[in-house]
Amino acid sequence: MEQQLKPLGIYIHIPFCKSKCEYCDFYSLPGGRNKKAMEDYTQAVMLHLKEAAQRAMEYEVDTVYFGGGTPSFFGEEGLRRLLGEIDRRFILRPDAEVTLEANPDSVSGPALRRLRKSGFNRISIGVQSDQDDQLRALGRPHTFQQAKEAVAEARDAGFDNLSLDLMYGLPGQTRDQWAGTLQSIIKLRPAHISCYGLRVEEGTPLYEYKDCANLPDDDAQADMYLYAADTLESYGYRQYEISNFSREGMESKHNLKYWMGGEYLGFGPGAASDFAGKRFTYQRDLRSYVEGMFGGAPVLSECESIPLRERAGEYLMLRLRTRYGIEGKEYRRMFRMDFAPLEELLEKLRKVRYATKENGRWRLTAQGFLLSNQIILALQEAQRESVSIWVDPDSL
Amino acid sequence: MTELSKIRNFSIIAHIDHGKSTLADRLLEACNTVELREMEDQILDSMDLERERGITIKARAVKLNYAADDGETYTLNLIDTPGHVDFNYEVSRSLKACEGAILVVDASQGIEAQTLANTYLAVDEGLEVLPVVNKIDLPAARPQEVKREIEDVIGLPALDAPEISAKNGINIHAVLEMVVRDVPAPAGDRDAPLQALIFDSQYDSYRGVIVYLRVFNGVVRPGMEIKMLGTGAVYRVVEVGVLEPKNMVPTEALGAGEVGYLTASIKTVSDTRVGDTITGTENPTDAALPGYKTVQPMVFSGIYPADGSRYGDLRDALEKLKLNDASMSYAQENSIALGFGFRCGFLGLLHMEIIMERLEREYNLDLITTAPNVVYRVYKTDGSMVEVYTPLNYPDPAEIEHAEEPFVKASIIAPPEYVGSIMDLCQQRRGEYQDMSYLDQSRVELHYDMPLNEIIYDFFDALKSRTRGYGSLDYELSGYRPSKLVKLDILLNGEVIDALSFILFADNAYPRARRICEKLKENIPRQMFEIPVQAAIGGKVIARETIKALRKDVLAKCYGGDITRKKKLLEKQKEGKKRMRSFGTVSVPSEAFMAVLKLDE
Repeated sequence: MEQQLKPLGIYIHIPFCKSKCEYCDFYSLPGGRNKKAMEDYTQAVMLHLKEAAQRAMEYEVDTVYFGGGTPSFFGEEGLRRLLGEIDRRFILRPDAEVTLEANPDSVSGPALRRLRKSGFNRISIGVQSDQDDQLRALGRPHTFQQAKEAVAEARDAGFDNLSLDLMYGLPGQTRDQWAGTLQSIIKLRPAHISCYGLRVEEGTPLYEYKDCANLPDDDAQADMYLYAADTLESYGYRQYEISNFSREGMESKHNLKYWMGGEYLGFGPGAASDFAGKRFTYQRDLRSYVEGMFGGAPVLSECESIPLRERAGEYLMLRLRTRYGIEGKEYRRMFRMDFAPLEELLEKLRKVRYATKENGRWRLTAQGFLLSNQIILALQEAQRESVSIWVDPDSL
Repeated sequence: MTELSKIRNFSIIAHIDHGKSTLADRLLEACNTVELREMEDQILDSMDLERERGITIKARAVKLNYAADDGETYTLNLIDTPGHVDFNYEVSRSLKACEGAILVVDASQGIEAQTLANTYLAVDEGLEVLPVVNKIDLPAARPQEVKREIEDVIGLPALDAPEISAKNGINIHAVLEMVVRDVPAPAGDRDAPLQALIFDSQYDSYRGVIVYLRVFNGVVRPGMEIKMLGTGAVYRVVEVGVLEPKNMVPTEALGAGEVGYLTASIKTVSDTRVGDTITGTENPTDAALPGYKTVQPMVFSGIYPADGSRYGDLRDALEKLKLNDASMSYAQENSIALGFGFRCGFLGLLHMEIIMERLEREYNLDLITTAPNVVYRVYKTDGSMVEVYTPLNYPDPAEIEHAEEPFVKASIIAPPEYVGSIMDLCQQRRGEYQDMSYLDQSRVELHYDMPLNEIIYDFFDALKSRTRGYGSLDYELSGYRPSKLVKLDILLNGEVIDALSFILFADNAYPRARRICEKLKENIPRQMFEIPVQAAIGGKVIARETIKALRKDVLAKCYGGDITRKKKLLEKQKEGKKRMRSFGTVSVPSEAFMAVLKLDE
């Protein structure tokens, strides 16, 4: 009998940017194009892909995601070589979702056409705002006009599966401005929209002047969030995750793996993997990653096996971020634990409209998403106090 | 044993920060008692905490050998005294062990409240007080004026007082010569029955209590059976010796006039109360040295472990601290809100802060403290009287005939331009003006009768801030007076949190209730539901705030599938929650308890 291949996602981190945004705490190196460093990096990732592929013989890759940093700044040639290497070393499904993150200032029509031709079929453009002064305040290296042009070019190149990133809770941003931004984005008719509340992370430039940045407070952010969820829903964008909205069937398959417990391999400094029962992360440092690849020095910063009991906690943490939510029977089957204490709490949450139950599945409402940390912590606590039960899987 | 004529026993007295400990260091150095390389600043303050706070908590003594200009070598026993108003009794006992005292006055600040208080204590004990003007190197130094001030205000001859800088080692020699010349040699009869004064004691886990003593008559030596006249405790002496700066040196005996230590396998410092008299069981004296009293804690507060499961650790820590601090008291207390803890008694707020800090630092405990309160006397309608140490035991208002609270005589010294502001403050704190006198053109002394309760909160901080740091305070208990008292309860989400209740003067209830509700609102994080914060007397709510429901607590991005990082963030949040106490459904961080203690910030 032919063995069924397991699905696998691949994430490639591109740690290069033209400039660093004020709020960004991802691992990336800003500055002009350093051809040598980029070439070394391409070689290192290719080597890494080759090695990893040997341990992934029973898998077929159904999603690939190039994130960053700014993949579009990295250049189409390198991106194509890396995707080519994935195709060569792994079993890459012909219908795989292959996403590329791009900034409006670093795309061009011809390059996009070549990328599309080489197999990239989804593009996620960082638009963030339709107000140029807000873009400047965030340190974004582009205008809204450039973003609109990039969208048109991507469409021309054949990227129908188009996603736009937005941010709210920006310095000085009013609720009205945010409503305007949403309208501008909806007019561009993307298949998918991500809306992220601005978070002030320690170590970023924004953190240094956060107190005089005129940031909307939590209540204002909450209002903006709920407004976005309502508005986007009314335009046919379904909220399928805390920060993600899409037309029916246009969800990001790759990102869903993170939340639904799928397996994925990450490549590059700071990239995370969940593969064959282990979760691991590489060091957030380009040089040690590259040298490690060529010289064989260890590049892992963290690696852990996740026991079932902990997986049960993650199931709550991750699934409840999505519209697919959690379900009693599934939970009992996966973790052999009693669902009743969770159900009891969920019932209480339903009364205050933080949670809802449809066809036996529990999920959080938009209001519930806003408080998801609190809710998840409470559910995990209830989970810790519940006892494992023996359930005969056949009886389910 | 040293010849009486070659002994000088003295103390250094000063207002806080006038340089007492630094001068002590310089004297040690000048006598080469401590090698320079061994010098750590302020060697007499041996507790870490003392060194950090720059104040002396426990008295210590040290023996110096000084080769004087007259060619003779003298034994100088320097007995250090605590420099804070909370420890007045300890100061007076340390002084009792001396014949003289160096009075250190800051050349720029002049006389302060504790300068006066300590000088009066020394004069009361019959000591020769020798003024020294310190910090003459400071640009603002005005030594001549300060000397005149000492003469005018205290009435001590001061024109020839050495002008020194302890910090820079200027004129230290003159101080030592002055001690030899002007401090009287001790009197005493070494053939008489033993009569010695305990001026300090310290618990040592190997040797038991180490008693610091001054022998007035007779001789004490190892093997002798001794008795404490006050506590009646009897022990056999194991070791006696003198106090060198770096270690204790055993000797064959300590005779009249000498200062040193003894050990006798004593298990607890409460057997060796400061001020008690030691005599021998064979050939005893009946004459106790005057002035012995048991110090009573004046301020009481509930102390609870932030993590309820560490109650046992807290108990062990208090037991150990108590071994070394006879003036602290503790008794088990049970709060509905906080579970098991202790009601602890302290000499004053500083004493309390020190104990708290030691518990947290040396015993690694996270603590929740309830509002400090004084001891109220409540007379009930059935004719009985109860002393109320904790709001938990405050009788039902229906049973109360009347109540009394302790009053103090407070003395405040400050430059005249602040008098108005100080009077305002004292009036706010229910102070009754007694009198005011000009110590000189730049200094006024005010006397007030005040409820102790008004002083223990943050009076000293308020005084300091209103006088730009120039105001100084001293007070002593004067007795009880009838007062209008009420018990204020705090409710969170409709439930009384007993640990937040406190007793206060009725007329202060409304403003304070409002402040507390505001403070709690600021310090309790928003939660999943709206939380009413109320203050009530009896069943009547007199203030209310609302903590709005939390609306947003979400990790928006889960980038590149870094679930580990996300889990850590949640984990951190969970840890934060653990540090909170939950009352019904409301979680309250321990900072909220601290915040209500400091209402005026």
